[in-house]
Amino acid sequence: MSDTMSDPTTAAISIRGVTKRFGEVTAVDDLSIDIREGEFLTLLGPSGCGKTTTMRMVAGFEEPDEGDILLRGEEVVGVPPNKRHVNMCFQNYALFPHMDVQQNIEYGLKLRKVGKEDRARKVEEMLSIVRLEGYEHRRPGQLSGGQQQRVALARALVNEPAALLLDEPLGALDVKLRKQMQLELKRIQHELATTFVYVTHDQEEALSMSDRIAVMNEGVVEHLGSPRDVYERPATPFVADFVGVLNAAELAVTSVDGDRAVLTINDKDHVVAPATGHDLAAGTMALVTVRPERIAITRGAAEANGGSRLSGTVAQVVYLGTLTQFHVETSAGKTFVVHQLSTEGSEAIDARDDVTLTWPVEDSAILRVGADATSP
Amino acid sequence: MNPAISTGGRRTLWVVFWFLVVFLYAPIVILIIFSFNNSEIVSFPWLGFTTRWYHEFVHEPALLSALKTSLLVATLTSIVATSLAIPAAIALVRRRFFAKGFVSGVMLAPLVIPLVVLGISLLILFNAVGVPLSPYTAVIGHVVIAMPFAILVMVPRLERIPAALEEASRDLGATAAQTFRMITFPLLVPALISAFLISFTISFDELVISSFLVGDQATFPVYLYSQLRLPERLPSVIAVAVVILVVSVIIVVASEAGRFISERRLEAQTGMAADDIGSLRAGKG
Repeated sequence: MSDTMSDPTTAAISIRGVTKRFGEVTAVDDLSIDIREGEFLTLLGPSGCGKTTTMRMVAGFEEPDEGDILLRGEEVVGVPPNKRHVNMCFQNYALFPHMDVQQNIEYGLKLRKVGKEDRARKVEEMLSIVRLEGYEHRRPGQLSGGQQQRVALARALVNEPAALLLDEPLGALDVKLRKQMQLELKRIQHELATTFVYVTHDQEEALSMSDRIAVMNEGVVEHLGSPRDVYERPATPFVADFVGVLNAAELAVTSVDGDRAVLTINDKDHVVAPATGHDLAAGTMALVTVRPERIAITRGAAEANGGSRLSGTVAQVVYLGTLTQFHVETSAGKTFVVHQLSTEGSEAIDARDDVTLTWPVEDSAILRVGADATSP
Repeated sequence: MNPAISTGGRRTLWVVFWFLVVFLYAPIVILIIFSFNNSEIVSFPWLGFTTRWYHEFVHEPALLSALKTSLLVATLTSIVATSLAIPAAIALVRRRFFAKGFVSGVMLAPLVIPLVVLGISLLILFNAVGVPLSPYTAVIGHVVIAMPFAILVMVPRLERIPAALEEASRDLGATAAQTFRMITFPLLVPALISAFLISFTISFDELVISSFLVGDQATFPVYLYSQLRLPERLPSVIAVAVVILVVSVIIVVASEAGRFISERRLEAQTGMAADDIGSLRAGKG
């Protein structure tokens, strides 16, 4: 994680060695991230991983037990939320029900004693950015979920915060609206060039919107990198498993040939994986992984062509629309999931068929070495 | 029809229900009837319709002065009890602190302490400290018994105001005091009105504590009770009771209806159930 430590003076938010405990539970454990000016950074992880607590500490609703938080180079630990120049979009929007859209949006401006005309102009500007022109005098109760979401965004962004914190903002919307709002959020972020810190447990959302993703588990960042990096070169088995379906098997290394390791199963089947970065020798156990969409599935036998090859039996075929998913019991001793585009060819393979799985060397990854390597 | 109850069972329930209704409301109906009976003896036969008992009490200075004392005591009681209940309810709903169960028990205890015990102990206390009895000492006694009700009216409303609204306000630059003034208080108003009205009716009706603490300026219930010794006053006492009854019913029904309507509105506007609010407060993730 070499990019964890960028220059803190240029960081919009710098979180340094922050720990937060709730009684016996350590919610966030010695966490450090520098969030760059203008970037879209996602904190991704399962519930209870500390992502929301991290965000709430940046906003000022929780105070860290240890460590520092800097906003544009200024220490903010101990500063109340109203004195921090970040704004938050709450999960259920938290719009003020007794105020109309205009009053909601200008709430922060009023507190900063912005004049009436300036307020009206800024509210109008914001409403056009979130595409809600003409809704000034509606009450939150009269708006749909998506519209409320836009008002919440406008209410936070109108204050021109150093960073906007979004706490699972799309969680309450239905799937179609969620996809639409993902694009909208990205557009708005691009238009205003504001730093967005986004909390979600939805890996698809994280992959499609973020400049960088911090995958969190049990209070620590397991991997910080670009979506492609996190998806294709996961740093740990947890990351690999959480960011997409993962096939993993624990196998013994039979030979190391320069930058590639061969893990032989029997005279026909073997896995070939890049060996760089690992201390491998013949006989060591390694956890090798491959993504479902990287595997080619063939009925009957097929050639490995220098890559990996596993034989197996199809246990189940699941039609997913664009994709067809095959669950294959492999010679590696694990059931592998294979994704194939639903073309006419994929119809030919049925449950109980004998198949061969093949994939190129670079699509294998060794995630852990050693006898204790258990699959994620 | 509920299949879990037999026809015979339904019939029994029906009879019990109407028995209860008659038992509860027949005395009130009789009271209203006799307040218009043209006789100094409060019993049948009916001697004709009159409104003279109503005229009589309006021209009774002692009665009017007792009414005035009661209005003063009830108004002060409601203001003080409601004001004290606001921070109490906020602490119970929003804060986590040591021995919260014990503290809430102490705050709500006057609900179950017999009024006679409360009245006597306050009387002894005031005597010991040397505070002369007056309508104001009665106010103190009434605040003690009205405050639990005021708190209990406010707690559910406060639980329905998402804590995230207050956090959003802080986040947008408001201090804690500004947040209370602009967010919490306006959303709490319906419950404040209910708490005020309930405290008012509790104080206005109260006889036991008043009789111990009010001194020589009788409140209205104390005055009514003393008048019962004079049989010829009874019909006009009944007339007054009817007026009070009607006014009380109107106030209570109006306040409960108002609370119900605004509750529904808040729910529709925030679109949030109470457990969402809980998970927000716990700061999930």
